[in-house]
Amino acid sequence: MAVATDYARRRAPSIGRAVDRYYGALVSTGSVVAFLVVWQVAAARGWVNARYTSSPSQVLAAALDIARHDDFPHHAWVSFSEFSLGFAAALGIGLPLGLALGTSRRLRLFVDPPMMALYTAPRLTLLPILIIWLGIGAASKVAVVLLGAVFPIIVNTMAGVRETDPRLFQAARAFGASRLDTMIKVLVPGALPAILLGIRLAIGRGVLSVVVGEMFVSEAGIGHQIMNYGEAMQVGHLMVYAFAISLFGYALTIAVRLIEDRVRSWRPEP
Amino acid sequence: MSQIEIADVAIEYCRPNSDDTFAAIRGVNLAVDKGSFVTVVGSSGCGKSTLLLAIAGLIPRSRGSIRIDGRDVQGPGCDRAMVFQDASLLPWRSVHGNVRFGLELQRWRRDDIDERARRFTELVGLAKFADYHPHQLSGGMRQRVNIARALAVDPDVLLMDEPFAALDAQTREVMGNELLHIWERDKKTALFVTHAIDEAIFLADRVVVMAKDPGRIKAIVDIELPRPRSTAMLDSAAFTGYRHRLRDYIAADIQSLQLVGDAA
Repeated sequence: MAVATDYARRRAPSIGRAVDRYYGALVSTGSVVAFLVVWQVAAARGWVNARYTSSPSQVLAAALDIARHDDFPHHAWVSFSEFSLGFAAALGIGLPLGLALGTSRRLRLFVDPPMMALYTAPRLTLLPILIIWLGIGAASKVAVVLLGAVFPIIVNTMAGVRETDPRLFQAARAFGASRLDTMIKVLVPGALPAILLGIRLAIGRGVLSVVVGEMFVSEAGIGHQIMNYGEAMQVGHLMVYAFAISLFGYALTIAVRLIEDRVRSWRPEP
Repeated sequence: MSQIEIADVAIEYCRPNSDDTFAAIRGVNLAVDKGSFVTVVGSSGCGKSTLLLAIAGLIPRSRGSIRIDGRDVQGPGCDRAMVFQDASLLPWRSVHGNVRFGLELQRWRRDDIDERARRFTELVGLAKFADYHPHQLSGGMRQRVNIARALAVDPDVLLMDEPFAALDAQTREVMGNELLHIWERDKKTALFVTHAIDEAIFLADRVVVMAKDPGRIKAIVDIELPRPRSTAMLDSAAFTGYRHRLRDYIAADIQSLQLVGDAA
């Protein structure tokens, strides 16, 4: 009886339990707050030159200024549409190609050398060529996003397919599965965790590609603005745009990670 | 007429980097009566699983014919269903989803798929675990799902490839009992491959003993123990007699191989 009571007491809600539950969030928030405070104080006290480092209050002021005088929605839209088009193309090419490469050894041998060369080469060096071909408008940026995002999708999809247990294919075949059945019911679900991982990695590369593409040469977009404010030495304004694009990439990555967690629920804990 | 007729079947593979062929099985003749339970035993490498996969239509044969109800086997078909060793369940599907798998592939009507998947999950005693995933189940439970998946598609012939090989001895005995229990409801023709002699006798109307180099049928032993079988029979004089006979056949096969090894 005494044991039961003790157990009940231990399970009762308490401040300690609440702290336990939010421990991770508290610590992470603490680190962000600490960083902002140090940054602000260091700039205000003149420990660092605020002209180069800006400060949280200056960034806030810059954000208000941008909201009032800059056409932020337009620049955000330009970058977003370039990213989305390029990423959609990367999915449209990367997923089927990855599935095909995972299934066919001959295709893999054929495509592997040029693909690996492109995969390992720093693709942003192709930017000048893309601009010669496609001009300084959206098309060159779409292309550079596509080039950045397509490889992680191809490579991970291929790996996911190849890691699928061959015994599952045999079981499917024994029940009379067609090639399409096997694709839909075994190949894709089996490779899905790897595919999502590839998509998550591709988001980071795609975001980087669109910004760098715009910084290189463009007429509008987040990267365009970052370059302009950089040349004008307006560090606060630059940081507002940099923060906006980071937030976008971060939010997308988190969204994919949530889907990954759901999809991985069938896996035993590693 | 026998339901499964296997005549002079050979399955040969090319040896890597040479023109030689290597016979996994050769000259296999076997007839399996409708509604009988036939087990195939033999030491590893005797081609017993190869024979089963050929009947399933999963591997091509080099020679001979395999007929089921008079129709030549050209590939997998709805008349047969296969129970595999462990790890052939889709890990991302629940128990219910795995039992549905075969039904979906064979294009059953949607209502029938749900109804049959539920019924056969219940039949193997997993109704309470319908929403569990394979990694949450024990080896014995996974093989129940495997059996339910095969039975659900209502095959004429049930093919089982060492389905209990990965289980511990106690679970194995329980599963053997339950398999017979389920089988006796509608007595589908069953072909069961195993390397365990007791299991082979306990389940079977007829035991096929295979030997290797090349894989071939060495003996066929009719088991005249009454049904329903019970574990008490394992100690009976008749059972012990069968056990000795089969053990001698298989031991001879292993010994002859050792002699060949010594000579070389």
